[in-house]
Amino acid sequence: MAELATSQHDELASAESRSWHLHHRRKITLWGIAFVLPTIIFFAVFKYGPMLWAIELSFHSYDMISAPRYVGLDNYRALIADPIFRSTLFNTLIYISCTTTLLTVIGLMLALAINTGIPGARHCMTAMFLSNLMPVIAVCLVWRILLHPYGVVNQLLQHVGFGRIDWLTSEWTAMPSIIMVTVWRFAPYFMVVFLAALLALPDDYYEAAEIDGAGPIRRFFHITLPLLMPTIFFVVVVSALLCARVFLYPYLITGGGPGNATRVLSMLIYETGFSYLKMGQAAAISVVLFAIMLVFTSLQITLFTRSERIYF
Amino acid sequence: MAVIDETDWTPPPPSLRRYLPTLRRLIGLLLLIVLTAMFLLPIVWMLMMSFQAGEKMFQLRTEWIPTVWHFENYPNALSRAPFAQYFLNSGIVSVVVMITNVVFCTLAGYGLAKFRFPGSSVLLLLILSTMMLPLEVTLVPTFLVVHKFDWINTYQGIVAPLLIDAFGIFLMRQSMISIPKDFIEAARIDGAGELRILLQIILPQCLPALSVLAIFSFRDSWDQFLWPLTVVSVDELRTFPLGLVQFGEDYGNPPTEQMVIAVLATIPVFLLFAILQRSVNKGFGLSGLK
Amino acid sequence: MAKSDSMDLTRRAVVGGMGAAGLGATYAALAPRAYAQEKKPIKVSFWTFDNPQQRPWVNKRVKLFTEQNPHVKIDFQWFAFGDLGKKLSVGFATGTAPDGFVSQDWFMPVWLDKNLLAPLDVGKLGYANYQAFAKDFAPAFVEGATVNGKVYGYPMWFYGYCNYLNTKQFKEVGLDPDKDWPQTWDQLGEVAKKLTVKDGDKFTRQGFKFAMHAAQWTMIQFNPILVGAGGSWFDQSGKCIVNNDAGVRAMTIRASIAQKYGAEDPADSIATNPIPGMDFLKERASMFFCHPLPLELVKAQNPAMLEGNYFRPVQYPGSAPGKGISTAYGFNLVINAGASPDKQEVLHDLYKFMMSDLVDAWRDAAPFTFAKKGGWEDNAEVQKFPYVNEIIKAGSNGVALPRTLVFNELADSMHRGVQKIMLSKADIKSTLNEVAAEVDRATAAYKKA
Repeated sequence: MAELATSQHDELASAESRSWHLHHRRKITLWGIAFVLPTIIFFAVFKYGPMLWAIELSFHSYDMISAPRYVGLDNYRALIADPIFRSTLFNTLIYISCTTTLLTVIGLMLALAINTGIPGARHCMTAMFLSNLMPVIAVCLVWRILLHPYGVVNQLLQHVGFGRIDWLTSEWTAMPSIIMVTVWRFAPYFMVVFLAALLALPDDYYEAAEIDGAGPIRRFFHITLPLLMPTIFFVVVVSALLCARVFLYPYLITGGGPGNATRVLSMLIYETGFSYLKMGQAAAISVVLFAIMLVFTSLQITLFTRSERIYF
Repeated sequence: MAVIDETDWTPPPPSLRRYLPTLRRLIGLLLLIVLTAMFLLPIVWMLMMSFQAGEKMFQLRTEWIPTVWHFENYPNALSRAPFAQYFLNSGIVSVVVMITNVVFCTLAGYGLAKFRFPGSSVLLLLILSTMMLPLEVTLVPTFLVVHKFDWINTYQGIVAPLLIDAFGIFLMRQSMISIPKDFIEAARIDGAGELRILLQIILPQCLPALSVLAIFSFRDSWDQFLWPLTVVSVDELRTFPLGLVQFGEDYGNPPTEQMVIAVLATIPVFLLFAILQRSVNKGFGLSGLK
Repeated sequence: MAKSDSMDLTRRAVVGGMGAAGLGATYAALAPRAYAQEKKPIKVSFWTFDNPQQRPWVNKRVKLFTEQNPHVKIDFQWFAFGDLGKKLSVGFATGTAPDGFVSQDWFMPVWLDKNLLAPLDVGKLGYANYQAFAKDFAPAFVEGATVNGKVYGYPMWFYGYCNYLNTKQFKEVGLDPDKDWPQTWDQLGEVAKKLTVKDGDKFTRQGFKFAMHAAQWTMIQFNPILVGAGGSWFDQSGKCIVNNDAGVRAMTIRASIAQKYGAEDPADSIATNPIPGMDFLKERASMFFCHPLPLELVKAQNPAMLEGNYFRPVQYPGSAPGKGISTAYGFNLVINAGASPDKQEVLHDLYKFMMSDLVDAWRDAAPFTFAKKGGWEDNAEVQKFPYVNEIIKAGSNGVALPRTLVFNELADSMHRGVQKIMLSKADIKSTLNEVAAEVDRATAAYKKA
């Protein structure tokens, strides 16, 4: 703790007290390390250990029963040659990009709507946030039935003149449906993130803009949006990370179907590993997913470590 | 919202103009209510179906309000499988994970926010990078690690990979970073120990962040499905998501009773939110909201 | 590896034991088991699949067995039908697999290929020799449970699928279920068409329904159509030939109910959870291929249907009347090769005890039929069950699911293919080509590993 030893202290310090300070400082440093140590050990064992293991495993053929056998790049070659993997990778990327875009746009719009100061808006916010707290498993069970061809969603849409839509069983609407359910669950969370950012915006910009006679739309694009850029960046990165690991929504709602329309990489990892007993191949898919997530994580880290803001 | 062109727009008579803001607010409120309804609808549907007769769940026209309220669905559903046990297991797992996250994320967050030691910035990087290693992706090797510890079919096995989450550490670090160093130094000069400083000076200032962390870590471990499915193979340790999915496979079970379990599973999270709500709102940075 | 060493050891011990037991088989069958007197405490683990009737019955027999053998403790666990296979694989990998378990018939090849099962001593199960054992079951079931004259599985429940009819709806549209039940695939389409009721683009009632919710069911339902059309899953060399002419013919039949006769809505099913018969039980489908339906199940989902007794099973349709075949599948009682000899001994006794009273099993889990020939079919209690002989006939006429090392891959691939054909109207030939290519890739990968 270099900051601890202020110049004032130094002037007064005798040689004796300086050595005491040195000792004291070292002790404080040790405390700091002690605070972080459990976490480091934990992450080494349960995050980096498995990651390194997965990387190693991806060069082996392993059915969990006989010993792993080194196969070089065979698992990766098999992946590239596998049309199911390719279409699953494509699905995952589509899911990440669409969901992230929608979550950002809808989250921001909801936050702007709440921030209008309409009486009762606060209660609306709390009510919306409940969707973010409902257990995922319940979310999936409920939406699977709501999106049935004759289900509630189609019944409601019928009132506004829509015909029958096979939400979960048509290859064109199945992925959008999964995306919709994800947005339903997470948009309120990002709404809160945006809302916090909006509340933290300095008022004086707006006062100045009002004096200049700028309309609400101009104000939004010229003041609010630029000031919100770091938050938008945060939301994009966090939701991308959230989406890259998606498993339960497609697993429980569509089972990856119809055809391969909603299968995502994490599902393929699970099936390849535990259903086909190809642990090496599953590990290779994990490595691909690491690579995708690494892109977003590095973006996130640059943001996080540079900023002093609280993100949640 | 449309941009209003002043040229071909005649201002409303003064009497109407007086009501214009009120009118706009009313329309805004109406829109907001519609939006909220969209988010609440599935929850309400779930609740209503849990009281509905078994054969009413799949109908061409949904009967939103039961003509006959079947309260007996609740005891019936609970009697079909040891759900009390499943919920207890989920509760144990979630509370443990919540506590360890609160404790260790606070410690690590403090260590990273207010201490500088060789390698501390690299450590921060390494900790944040674990966000790219979710359980869904490292399922196979994590399972092998837990197996090495001989924790298959134990509570330790279920909670082990969930104990600390990088996001929580980051949340705590950010909420502590702005606390002035003078506070800490002054306390040190007064002879306070490091743990006392953390507990008495730092912690009271980041309680809102802590409640955000608490509710999210509770919710996330309450939601765990894939991991317990992989690591548990004895009925006594099943958590409710496993029980709920299995429930649908037993062919005698009416689907409405599945909704009962879903409703019961939702209550604890909502309850925790209700208890922590004020603090959570503060933690979210929403105190300024009117 | 320590694990494989111990596995070899036990296998040798068991094989040795088998020789000895072969000599004294008659004695073993007559005399009470020696260990029963010793009463050395022993704990064995046993897993089965979950089901509201079969699981409780297995549990009951296990309990009874431990009551009669107080020194034995059995750790009894169960899993969802679809999870059991995965759980066992993971269990074998980590040494947490149970000592004995109920194996789905179609997983036997994988366990056997990886040497995970201990050979059973038929003497200890009460048979004089292998021939006596083999004669006790239909050849199809023996084939799945034995390798080169060694027995690895004790066949338990095996049942055939039937075509279930809603006779009330038959009569409503002027059909006589006794005479007009569909015997060929064309008849199935025609009858289904008559039974169908539509409301605009919605089906109030589907004339016939294929299950679409799980890969397993896709296999079960397509298997007899494929075999009936003269096709097969694999050729001699192990290449997947589901895409040959016979396969295309079979899939065309499979698709015709929806696409030619308009009697099915593949997107509409309320079997959102694996309660496959839901559409039939809720009377939203007039006909459905299903495993024998327990009366309890009908009662739970549709009491009126049970009271009015207006459902009945008939044989599958076929290429010509009387040629209908169904899928039969079932379960074997097996022993983990890693289980110690004394545990294996206990399990032999347990299995013998479980299978010693099939009428009791029928009482608790009717109408799931057994692989065993004799000892239950003629029993008055069994014969009391409505249409029981149709159910038994379906079982003995049924063809088993393909016994292959890549069953999961095949099933998932077929499931995707059927969804593409039925829901996206994909071309049958090219979709089956894709399926065959995927399965061949899986086979190649398995051989390589």
